[in-house]
Amino acid sequence: MIRLDKVSKRYPNGHYGLVDASLTIRRGEFVFVVGPSGAGKSSLIRLLYREDFATEGEVYVDQFKLSSLRRGQVARLRRQLGVVFQDVKLLPNRNVYHNVAFAMEVVGASSRDIHKRVPQVLELVGLSRRRENFPDQLSGGEQQRVGIARALVNNPIYVIADEPTGNLDPETSRDIMKLFVEINRRGATVIMATHAKDIVNQMQRRVVAIEQGRVSRDDARGVYGYES
Amino acid sequence: MNLNGLKYVLGETGRNLVSNSWMSLASVSTVAISMFVLSFFLVVTTNVNHVTAVLQSQVEMRVFVNPKATRSQEYALLKEARHWPNVRKMDFFTKSQAANNLKKEFPNQRGLVQLMAKSNPLFDGYDVFTYHPKDIPLLAKRFKQQSIVRTVVYEGQVVKRLTKLSTILKWVGWGVEVLLGLATLFIIVNTIRLAVFARRREVQVMKLVGATDWFIRWPFVLEGLVLGVLGALLADGAVDAGYRWLAQAAGTALPFWPLASLQAVMHEVWLFTLIGGFFVGGLASLVALRRFLRV
Repeated sequence: MIRLDKVSKRYPNGHYGLVDASLTIRRGEFVFVVGPSGAGKSSLIRLLYREDFATEGEVYVDQFKLSSLRRGQVARLRRQLGVVFQDVKLLPNRNVYHNVAFAMEVVGASSRDIHKRVPQVLELVGLSRRRENFPDQLSGGEQQRVGIARALVNNPIYVIADEPTGNLDPETSRDIMKLFVEINRRGATVIMATHAKDIVNQMQRRVVAIEQGRVSRDDARGVYGYES
Repeated sequence: MNLNGLKYVLGETGRNLVSNSWMSLASVSTVAISMFVLSFFLVVTTNVNHVTAVLQSQVEMRVFVNPKATRSQEYALLKEARHWPNVRKMDFFTKSQAANNLKKEFPNQRGLVQLMAKSNPLFDGYDVFTYHPKDIPLLAKRFKQQSIVRTVVYEGQVVKRLTKLSTILKWVGWGVEVLLGLATLFIIVNTIRLAVFARRREVQVMKLVGATDWFIRWPFVLEGLVLGVLGALLADGAVDAGYRWLAQAAGTALPFWPLASLQAVMHEVWLFTLIGGFFVGGLASLVALRRFLRV
């Protein structure tokens, strides 16, 4: 379970990313985080994988209390999370297979496990035939699929995505979103910050809206609710 | 860390070194120059110490006897002085033995040999060894007070000056080395900083998927150590070759000069340069990572 308890995030320039935000996300949920640009969606996402700290309040991810994590525990926390970015962050000098395998190598997985697991996730994201290609040989949608495969390869409990369809055309975005639904169906909790109004409206999942850093709405089967 | 992790760390270290080859070369050269300068001071200090030791191991004190003294007087003094508290060893020599020794030491000096054959200008005497060099002046004074003693000669002053020189050289050497060490540190810090910068995306991904701090750091730490040790080895090679040449040249030009052996010199050089290279490389990595890789 993820829990935010009266969390505020104040940046050094005095600007607030989040103000007094409280939220609970249970395992297995699919949650959209929506809101205008600069509202605080990315601030919330960054707090979840401990890229940032809350300046007030507390963030809990399962047994981890994020404000008091020691450095070694941050690595343990992140092994339970799979993070997907708008800009994907693929390694240009590694092919699809090795971009995904990299995430397992650096957490000390055995070669045997890597050889077994990487083809499975490539199959799931539909990139089995592109495993030898390098990122610059892939379309935007395919690159994002590699990013998702990399986030999934260590079997995370939570998949956190920060505008994963932000750079993609509507059709590709729908394909990517179907993939997240499938990931959620297989048991992972999905938390996604997005501007994809049509998809949010169509999917009718839980929607947490953030405006000026505050949680303004939390609907179990919500809609986007803004002009995008 | 398992075998896979080790393979990854070694692979990344190699990749960093190769993809950053110009900076790696600059770092290795700087370490090599720095270690070469350290070696230079080590070589000089070792040799000064060697000369000091040679002088000390040679006759510490030579006591010459008055030509009018009889052999029984000479033996009487030998018997008595051998039991003086500071005397470790005392040998008697006659003036003909002294002449023979001189002939052996300088076989090419024909004039000297001929002169010795005609008339021997040398004296009977004693070679005296002490337990501590500091006892020499007092002992010399005691010998001088003996009626049959003509003169006492010892190397005390030279040894004292050489010891002082050795100490000064050691301190100057370390002073220069600290300055060069800082310059070296700076260059390696920058090399590793570039490596971290070039790998920033990998580092970011590693952090996000839960790699531990040390797993991320190891390739960079190893890189620093490799740069430091490679530089030290390069310096060692140069010093080894240079000293061999010097020993050969000195053997011809200064046959009587007691040069320290190659083994003795290289033992010091290997020890200090490898420790130095390892230390500078490791420290530079840690400084660079502390500043540029907040994981």
